[in-house]
Amino acid sequence: MKSIMSRRRGLAAFLLLLIGYHFTPYFVTNLYHLHILNLAGIYTLVVLGLNILSGYTGQVSMGQAGFFAIGTYVSALLMMNWSIPFWSASAMATVMAGLFGAVIGIPAMKLSGPYLVLATVGFGEIVRLVLLNWTPVTKGAAGLVGIPLPTVLGFVVTTEKHFFYLILASLLVGVFIALRIADSKIGRTYRAVCEDELAAEAMGVNINRYKISAFIISAMFAGFAGSLFGSFSGVTSPDNFTFDESVGFLCMSVIGGNRSIVGAVIGAFGLTAVSEALRVIQGFRLVIYGSILVFTVIFMPKGIIGLFRWICGNFSVKEID
Amino acid sequence: MQFFLNGLPIGAIYSLVALGYSLIYAASGVLNWSQGDMVMLGAYVGFTVFFFLKLGFISALFLAIVVVALLGALVQYMILRPLREREAPPINVVIATLGVAIICRNLALGIWGPDPQILPSPVSSRPLSLAGVSVTPQDILVLSVGITLMLILHSFLKNTREGKALRAVAQDRYAAQLVGIDPERSDAVAFAASAGIGAAAGILIAPIFFVTFNMGASIGLKGFVAAVIGGLGTIPGAIAGGFFLGVVESLAGGLISSGYRDAITFSLLIVVLWLKPSGLFLRKNRQKV
Repeated sequence: MKSIMSRRRGLAAFLLLLIGYHFTPYFVTNLYHLHILNLAGIYTLVVLGLNILSGYTGQVSMGQAGFFAIGTYVSALLMMNWSIPFWSASAMATVMAGLFGAVIGIPAMKLSGPYLVLATVGFGEIVRLVLLNWTPVTKGAAGLVGIPLPTVLGFVVTTEKHFFYLILASLLVGVFIALRIADSKIGRTYRAVCEDELAAEAMGVNINRYKISAFIISAMFAGFAGSLFGSFSGVTSPDNFTFDESVGFLCMSVIGGNRSIVGAVIGAFGLTAVSEALRVIQGFRLVIYGSILVFTVIFMPKGIIGLFRWICGNFSVKEID
Repeated sequence: MQFFLNGLPIGAIYSLVALGYSLIYAASGVLNWSQGDMVMLGAYVGFTVFFFLKLGFISALFLAIVVVALLGALVQYMILRPLREREAPPINVVIATLGVAIICRNLALGIWGPDPQILPSPVSSRPLSLAGVSVTPQDILVLSVGITLMLILHSFLKNTREGKALRAVAQDRYAAQLVGIDPERSDAVAFAASAGIGAAAGILIAPIFFVTFNMGASIGLKGFVAAVIGGLGTIPGAIAGGFFLGVVESLAGGLISSGYRDAITFSLLIVVLWLKPSGLFLRKNRQKV
């Protein structure tokens, strides 16, 4: 009962925030700030997938930048070489990333803990190194220049403001899909697998199938985000998809709260904002950023969303439960 | 043959870094992502001692080991102990050590600047020809100091009180506590020892590669790969894994393609993980440390 009530209240708060956010371009007139918000929106899509993977099935991936890269390069190359329209290219990029998710999911189902982490790190690095060295196709370290802009119903998305609404719409669809997955039979099975693999298996759950499907879902989220990222930036190179990028996604996931869908939104926007706000300090900016990470995981073990829930739990109507 | 030999010195470095991962993992079950940055800090401390305090190579090596080892123990007491007390999930521990890595890297950037530095070698780097293959005195120095450090670590674990306590904690944390061993202290010993051998690795590669603030990322990752290929949490595994990785890299770079060298290494890693997750060099009964 309590969970339904707080869930509804959470959803209402989220919708209110969203309506407020919708008007952002009217008062954020600084194009750079809008650019950062747009980037944070794209990152959120990656973190949504990561939360389904790590928060719901307990599999940690430090290679999401690899799927993100596949999404970017596949859609960009399809658009540039065969003039395929954005949405078809994006769909193919998403499917391609999903296929790679299955490829890495197969060895991953046997692994856990540090071994799984290392396998995903290895995957991310392999993708980056192939992009760097497969020069005839990927243009190597120089990267791709002039990735075409997306069109929506014949309308070309050009300015930061246009992108803001495109990314906001994608984000809404992404959050909706992620919430649906989390609430469905699949989501509940994921949580069962995460809590106790043996018990879930005893209940007749095919664990391997679910583990692979979580990888595919997270890869598809990252792949779609990547296709948006390519068209949004216009240029891309293997430097955009380093191990540090994967680490960044994981930090967003954990700091926001990886066992929650809204946590992904909070983590991605929160960490991006903190990292930008710290630019005023110049020199030791990332030292403080690192300290914030350490501080948060020690004092807010369930992420920012965990802190919210704890506050709400202490001040809301308790008689319900 | 030449490629095989070229792989040995870098293999020794990987072994040292891998030992750091395995020691900490065996003692406390923590995956320490700041291991590579201890290597970087070791190289910078050595560089500073050498150029600003004008002390010799040997004292640079010792001071770097001591300073970075203390830092390692500090990380355990300040960051990992509170996490353990709060029973934080493993992913939080991963993020915490990544945070430490980010802090170290950027402190180094702030202190020593972005330009690559170089530490001169105490021996000449002119290759010597021995029975048809060429080796540099620097390679021999790296190998001999590396192996000496491994032997010191071995006798530390086998013969000293702290070393025995550490092995007891690695075997069974609760049982060790029952006989009066403080596991947090043993963790600190493991962190200090790991950071110290990492620092030594940093000094040893400083004359070969440039010292930069972000050198820890790639060397740390390679050390981790070596530790897992050999069998994470075991000392012989870490050593064998390091040399194996060094030789494979050298062969892949020399015979197949230097651009795809690291991609080949990581593909091999995934295959190893898939087929034999307990590591290449261990039989069924895995014994920690």
